Amino acid sequence: MPDLDALVPDVPALRSRLDAVGYLADDALATALLLAVRMRQPILLEGEPGVGKTEAARALAAVLDTPLIRLQCYEGLSSAEALYEWNYPRQLLAIRLAESRGESLQDTDLFAEDYLLPRPLLAAISHPGPRPAVLLIDEVDRADDEFEAFLLELLADAAVTIPELGTRRATVPPVAVLTSNRTRDLHDALKRRCLYHWIDYPDTARVAAIIRKRVPESAGWLAARVAHGVAALRARQELTKPPGIAEAIDWAGALQALGLSVLDADAADRTLGAVLKYAEDLQTVRRAGLAELVDAETGTDA
Amino acid sequence: MPDLPELAASFTVALRDAGIAAGPDRTRCFARAVTLLAPSTTRELRHCALTTLVSDREQIELFGAVFREVFGGPADRGARRGQPGDPPRSLPGTVPGADRKATADGDGREGDAQPREVALPLAASPLDHLATRDFAALSAEELARLAELMRTVALRTPTRPSRRRRPAPHGEQVDLRRTLAVSRRTGGYPLRLRRFVPRTRPRDLVVLCDISGSMEPYARAMLQLLYCASRAARAEVFTFATRLTRLTPVFRRAGPYDALERAGRAAPDWSGGTRIADCLAEFNERFGRRGMAHGAVVVIVSDGWDTGAPAALATHMARLARVAYRIVWVNPRTASPRYRPLVGGMAAALPYCDAVVSAHSFAALDDFTAALSAPGRRR
Repeated sequence: MPDLDALVPDVPALRSRLDAVGYLADDALATALLLAVRMRQPILLEGEPGVGKTEAARALAAVLDTPLIRLQCYEGLSSAEALYEWNYPRQLLAIRLAESRGESLQDTDLFAEDYLLPRPLLAAISHPGPRPAVLLIDEVDRADDEFEAFLLELLADAAVTIPELGTRRATVPPVAVLTSNRTRDLHDALKRRCLYHWIDYPDTARVAAIIRKRVPESAGWLAARVAHGVAALRARQELTKPPGIAEAIDWAGALQALGLSVLDADAADRTLGAVLKYAEDLQTVRRAGLAELVDAETGTDA
Repeated sequence: MPDLPELAASFTVALRDAGIAAGPDRTRCFARAVTLLAPSTTRELRHCALTTLVSDREQIELFGAVFREVFGGPADRGARRGQPGDPPRSLPGTVPGADRKATADGDGREGDAQPREVALPLAASPLDHLATRDFAALSAEELARLAELMRTVALRTPTRPSRRRRPAPHGEQVDLRRTLAVSRRTGGYPLRLRRFVPRTRPRDLVVLCDISGSMEPYARAMLQLLYCASRAARAEVFTFATRLTRLTPVFRRAGPYDALERAGRAAPDWSGGTRIADCLAEFNERFGRRGMAHGAVVVIVSDGWDTGAPAALATHMARLARVAYRIVWVNPRTASPRYRPLVGGMAAALPYCDAVVSAHSFAALDDFTAALSAPGRRR
């Protein structure tokens, strides 16, 4: 696909394009994504919650200027929900209608494109192109083993079989991005077919840059303060859920929404719910005092 | 300067030597990535290799070491790789504790080595005797016989509704797919509505087993039971003493006889001190909160001797109790009529337990299985 190669020729170009759609990736992640696009191989992204796994897929879709088709996995996910389902009420109506007109219907009339409800996987396969759709299979570790095995076939051949219609092969195989929170180990067979990248939590400067990107109205120094505050929170060992990048962005957004232009102890207290999502964490931090979060000069002595 | 195929092949061989499984397909993938991106610096090459050859976070550090060794300095590369007598890297985790455990188990191993003539454990008198013996007093040979017995124990957890469904005559929802399919026989008239109800499936079982010094005789027998359980049901097994070790992958790969030995090797803190609170915190952080304990039946096998502060244990138990369906605490010491939960850790944990059982002997396992399958409280 020459079009695609021109769009993402190399790592720096992809980085700057991701940058342009509001996603700051480091070289390693950009390399991984570039390889996923160019080698047309699914990629498995892992990392702590809130480091931007899902966001990476969304940004990639924006860069490629193609739809992002998302499948959220959960336990008991069945192929009817992931792949396709027939529109039974419509089929029933069609039968009744045909009868009232005295016509006869064939199976092939009923099990045709008109009555097919494509779910994410089929939608990704039948995306007409010219550029491939980005298929995000989110939190694949939540689905069960059977679904993983089912994915293998789809990811390897970019084809699915519908008994009534036959095998559908993608004309433009989608770029598949799988994410996992590691609640359980994925099957080796699935891992073997995927490229792999572990997204690390970025350093404070990069977090500040990301906040500036995502909350453009926030002043530079405020983004830096928020990034520093989040780093101070992360440095605490006793927090149940250390804030991720998503929380940092939320915090900046909350300050912005309240029209607060300084990050002092009072402002932090009022917006702390944007960063910490557990009652115990809020308690712990409030008890320890908010001064260290807002004072950019002193280090983190927690 | 070696050409690309040779480079890719030799690097994957080095990775395999170090213990990172990278098959030929991965090698090919790596070579393709290098051709596509034509990396000009070592850093870029590293990114290509990282994406294509690694498939787990735990491998990344090891990968880094191998990469530095192979691509770090061009001068010493050939020299080191060519050496025929290069000793294979010993696996991490060979600790003194594991050796001790293996020798202590020696008698049992020999018993296992002979053909398995143990056959079916019928209710014979020696077994009756075995059934009421305290696990702590068993010899290695008796332990091996007990293992055969334990395979007959069924561990069942309560069921929960799943998202899948099954046909039922009086279900609440109409199954249009089947109704329509059947209506073809009646000329397109859906005379009978087909219905379905949600399927149920057993709740997950998560077991945290204390293997500190004070628990060792019990832990061995309990682990044997858990091994049997993990074969049948969806069970996740962890051991803890000074640190938390996940045994599920070990159990999955091992046979019945070397499972325990492998478990001993995987958990380097056999017979160490206990830090229940820390290990519980680690479990919550890494596994429980992310979904493994959600709606599951959690079993903690421990005597509650904790070297940490009771308040910390209470905090983490509370967190676990909010996520789990039931918490069953197995404490062999409660078998004694004089036992009172006065030990700091046990007293702190007690309010969050749905059941406390002893399970100190085979006969007492009934209480344990009953506690597992009992319905949840409150919620």
